[in-house]
Amino acid sequence: MSMNAAIIGVGQSAYVRRPQPGQSTHTFIRDAVVAALQDAQIDASEIQGMAVTSFSLAPDAAVDLAWRLGLSLRWLLQDTNGGSSAMNMLGHALRGVETGAASPILVVAGDATGLGGYAKIAANYNIATREHLAPLGHGGPNGVYSLVTTRQMNKYGLTKSDYGHMAIAQRAWAAKNPFAVYRAPLTMEEYLAAPMVADPLTRYDCVPVVAGAQAIIIAHPDRCPRGRAPVRVRAIRNSFNYDNQEGDGLQTGISTFAEDLWQTVGVRPDDIDVASIYDDYPAMVLAQLNDLGMIPDHDLATYARREIGERRKPINTWGGMMSAGQPGGPAGGLNGISEAVLQLQHRAGERQVKGARRAVTTGYGMTLYRYGGTAAAAILERME
Amino acid sequence: MSAGVGIWRCRTCGTGYFPERLLCSRCHTHDFVPDRVIEGVVEEITVIRHVLGQTDWAPRRLASVRTVNGPRITVGLRDESGPGTVIELFEEGNAPFGAAKAVP
Repeated sequence: MSMNAAIIGVGQSAYVRRPQPGQSTHTFIRDAVVAALQDAQIDASEIQGMAVTSFSLAPDAAVDLAWRLGLSLRWLLQDTNGGSSAMNMLGHALRGVETGAASPILVVAGDATGLGGYAKIAANYNIATREHLAPLGHGGPNGVYSLVTTRQMNKYGLTKSDYGHMAIAQRAWAAKNPFAVYRAPLTMEEYLAAPMVADPLTRYDCVPVVAGAQAIIIAHPDRCPRGRAPVRVRAIRNSFNYDNQEGDGLQTGISTFAEDLWQTVGVRPDDIDVASIYDDYPAMVLAQLNDLGMIPDHDLATYARREIGERRKPINTWGGMMSAGQPGGPAGGLNGISEAVLQLQHRAGERQVKGARRAVTTGYGMTLYRYGGTAAAAILERME
Repeated sequence: MSAGVGIWRCRTCGTGYFPERLLCSRCHTHDFVPDRVIEGVVEEITVIRHVLGQTDWAPRRLASVRTVNGPRITVGLRDESGPGTVIELFEEGNAPFGAAKAVP
């Protein structure tokens, strides 16, 4: 557990489906950085470290971004772990502050690929994808996770409407998030009638790609603005290539460390007030919740219908990426962390979960061939 | 088009891999021999009906296939084979495809 490091501020840019002339990955990142600095009441000249992830920063790298932002640093990291990047950067930043390597540290993620740009990234995601999947016309991750979703439906007896509960619940949360790109209420009828993208995935199962950026600031808890509770990370765990792609993809790397995560913190899933679960696809939300031990008896169908459908559990309270939008790819992971911080600081406005003290956040991504190869989870807590 | 799909089999423990690996994940040796898997069983299918950035897209069928004595692979389906169907595998370039096994 980090005793001398906490998350003290968050910020984000606007999210848009199509970037306008003059908008780029760099400008979205700038907007998020400015917002986070303002939120944390820290001057840019005080920043000593930065971590960044983006699919569309190239040919620039982290140091180019530091230069463009006018930040002279002694700690710098660029992360390449997709949907787990934010969690990975968070862990490194906490340790960087804790060990005195740098403080404050800025953690930022952003993308503005455009839809066509994202399609090119999806077809060239790695060598395996470029050589063995793209020539099939696999349609990027939609093709991969459509097969995973069918597998999950068969194994756990899930129906299409079970996934609909998640899309509808998250859309209801998104209605209370002014940054979300889709805020209009969604009905089950609309969900079930949506056009098929990759059977059984329909439009509302596929995370919408947006342009945008998020940033958080890690520092000693004493640097948190007055009157605001810092958020500490009680434990954080990561997994990379946990099964060499030899399983069925219905478990994630979270399954390898979940028990250790809970034991380290000394809490159980029922002690969690808010959950930010990486939601590139509904099936993967259920898989991660299951791996975390948050679904009793591994009964995914009942959990989807009751806990999610009846809004008993606050999950992805900013609307999730499925309604708020996913900036490119790796940037999406920072959404859930930022939302958890706002909830634990009791600054989530209309969507505030009353008295929230603990949150679980996850990351999942980097589709290697048949499913994702990276996963991470953390328990965050409000410091009183 | 060539019959079967090329895989890489660990000479030490016999595990078959697709795509190619640098070390065997079971015994961590790097001595692989080329092998071919000729057929497999369709486990799940999907139809890719829409792709970002594509305006003139013809739907494609994909399947997750359990190969005989080899790894699970994702193939393009060239017919209407469904789950449980035994299919013959073939390659076009580096990409694996399959279609229902012809009845003799």
